[in-house]
Amino acid sequence: MPERALEGLKVLELGDFISAAYASKLLADLGAEVIKIEPPAGDNSRRHGPFPADEPHDERSGLYLFLNANKRSVTLDIEQPEGAALCRRLAQQADIVIHNLPPAELEAHGLDYETLSEDHAELVMSSITVFGYDTLYRDWKGHALTATAASGISMRIGDPGRSPLWIPYCAADFQGGIHGAAAALLALRARRSSGEGQHAWVSIVEVVGSYLAGSALPGFVLSGQLRSRAGTHMEAFYPWQVTPSADGYFEVITMVDDQWQRFVELMDESDAPWAADERLEARWTAWQWADEIDPNWYPWMRERTTAELTELFREHGLPFQPVNSLDVVADSDHLKRRDFWRTITHAEAGEYQTLGPPYRLSETPWELRRPPPLLGEHNAEVLVGELGLGAMELARLVVTGVVAS
Amino acid sequence: MSEQPPPPLAGLRVLDHGHVWAGPLLGRSLSEAGAEVIKVEAPDRASGIVMGGMPARSEMDAHDPRRYHDYDRGKLGITIDLAGEQGRELYHSLIAISDVVIENFSANVMKSLGLGYEALSEVNPRLIMASLSATGGTPGPWRDLRTYGPSLAALYGIKSLLGYLDDPQPREDTADLDPTAAGHAFVAVLAALEYCDRTGRGQYIDMAQGEATMQRIAEPLMDYQMNGRVAGLQQNRYPGVAPHGIYRAAGDDRWLSIVVRNDEEWAALLHVSGDAASYGPGGLANARFATLEGRLAHQDELDAAIETWTVQHDAFELTQQLQQARVAAYPVMGPPDLAADANYDALRTTGVRMGPDAELSIDQLYHGVPWKLTRTPAEISGPSPIKGGHNDYVFRELLGLGADDLAALQEQRIV
Repeated sequence: MPERALEGLKVLELGDFISAAYASKLLADLGAEVIKIEPPAGDNSRRHGPFPADEPHDERSGLYLFLNANKRSVTLDIEQPEGAALCRRLAQQADIVIHNLPPAELEAHGLDYETLSEDHAELVMSSITVFGYDTLYRDWKGHALTATAASGISMRIGDPGRSPLWIPYCAADFQGGIHGAAAALLALRARRSSGEGQHAWVSIVEVVGSYLAGSALPGFVLSGQLRSRAGTHMEAFYPWQVTPSADGYFEVITMVDDQWQRFVELMDESDAPWAADERLEARWTAWQWADEIDPNWYPWMRERTTAELTELFREHGLPFQPVNSLDVVADSDHLKRRDFWRTITHAEAGEYQTLGPPYRLSETPWELRRPPPLLGEHNAEVLVGELGLGAMELARLVVTGVVAS
Repeated sequence: MSEQPPPPLAGLRVLDHGHVWAGPLLGRSLSEAGAEVIKVEAPDRASGIVMGGMPARSEMDAHDPRRYHDYDRGKLGITIDLAGEQGRELYHSLIAISDVVIENFSANVMKSLGLGYEALSEVNPRLIMASLSATGGTPGPWRDLRTYGPSLAALYGIKSLLGYLDDPQPREDTADLDPTAAGHAFVAVLAALEYCDRTGRGQYIDMAQGEATMQRIAEPLMDYQMNGRVAGLQQNRYPGVAPHGIYRAAGDDRWLSIVVRNDEEWAALLHVSGDAASYGPGGLANARFATLEGRLAHQDELDAAIETWTVQHDAFELTQQLQQARVAAYPVMGPPDLAADANYDALRTTGVRMGPDAELSIDQLYHGVPWKLTRTPAEISGPSPIKGGHNDYVFRELLGLGADDLAALQEQRIV
């Protein structure tokens, strides 16, 4: 059996939907033992889908199944004092608590860092919220779309004059989760020397703003630079654009002059007057004249199929790639050769394919050890076996609805 | 006042071969967490490109404040020619006193220089090496493809989801592939450090940036695996949620994002919109919109009705009202809005401190560090380095070369 990077690390996940679940997934897949606390009705991702044959079923949601392999599920109604108290006891046994609950709710239930760390100074808590933990708008409501809008990135995506766009499928929540996981691991390493845990937090708005919207804010403040939405052309250098082929689209981008020259040669346009246009020499500014330059080479692209162009560009070592649809990607030989898709057998969802690793560690490989849990599958194992409740006590908690049956 | 505990990565040394974006951003994060990150560049190659309109480092002077905003801030800079025998020897002695190597060259570039993980781990068995290639280091038809972030996003299907519903042409993203890859690699390196702290053993991390970024589109990929359905352009829609959109507000190019997840929130929105918006023709109180099922079935009409209302109002005022009613809303922010946004201002200056030699104050920092560690805050130790600006420190102080040795190496263009 291979060793695990995060062997023995105990993580308690408290929250809903994507961000906290993705953060603890990253840790679980590298060996951490994650207990996922779900409300008695289950995480909202259980009801989100996609479902096989589009038939809703709490144990068959594709989003839930993706996010929660390698974890154990315990249901607790933290709205009830007894549920919150049990949650606190589970936190006492954890190295890390990862949550995405609104701060006010966390505090109302006595599950905030200050309370939990009173008797457990080694605890690390990682809070992932849209607007941040210690900020003006901490209790405002937010989701991935509003976070993307608030971060500054949406203003750059889409057409000038038309609606700005988000980054689809809640990309912002994943970004928050990644950095919530990183923050937890950083706090864990700090604990190694100090012996003390700490509260770590991220704001999804800031993660997206500082990394994705990148230089737009400093560019404006320091240089007064304001750029409009990108549309199909990025205003950074030329070419950087989505270009139609005969039957699809290509991302045409170069940052290196010799690639542009080789592209022009490939089209047999080296001697054409437009190719000698001196405005093309300043690649950082040439995008301003894209409307004039594009028509010189778009017809060559439009006359060729995506398959033809793909082969030509690969032969000539050009970094242009087709805009592949998801079936082409999922079924690609490359992902097969990389053994990317992994098969899971699940009591209710049957056998299905799920995504493989985001990274491969040579000594402590990413691995799927257990299928995603059924709702409350580990109630008895954890509450009786590890917290020491009696079987009668658990039965009583089920009757009062603190624990789902 | 109790003494400040050391930062999480204190005492750790990182050799950063990152270029363009993903690699440098990973190095920056490690630096902000307290590692000594040394940016390694070839003596005769131009320094990397910085995205989004910031000038390249080589075009900024040493004190340009923009150096605090690029992806190499907080690093030391050295030059070394890795193609020659002498340069490689020098590099090996650096490896012996380093903990982590990060690189985002094409797959196997380091190996072809004789600097693959196997060779380097013989010099230092504790070494962690992270390779952030485009498509992964193992064989496969895409391994040797040339890509940049945006074309890699196209190759891995990310781009096939970004665009409008009424036009099949995808739109340009602003390349979230690189930061998504860098964030994942950050987690992988920290996990490998846990293992190394425990066992004394290093390891190799092979990351395909495309595969890391695919994680964030797991939902439509699972739909494809389960149902064979191929998701297309999404505009601002999200399955199972309506309204879920960006709507025109009063003013020039002003927009407001709104998400309503259930009927209770819908009722709250109707309360804010008031009688005028609700009961006119095409109004929001239309029975078709009363339930989530109805709103999902009539999304085009729903979005049109909402925009008829929002376009009459200021995005910021409406955001205040909707948030007071517990509905998720926020204006679409441009740079001038962000510069004036009190919450963003608090975020960027919280949980980060400037190093003792930094020339900027926190208030002048337009992006801080988005992970906040309340006991061991992030530190930005300085601006991005001048190419080779720390050759003296690294080669003389760390490696103990004499002034004459270094001069000789410089003479031969090895550093």
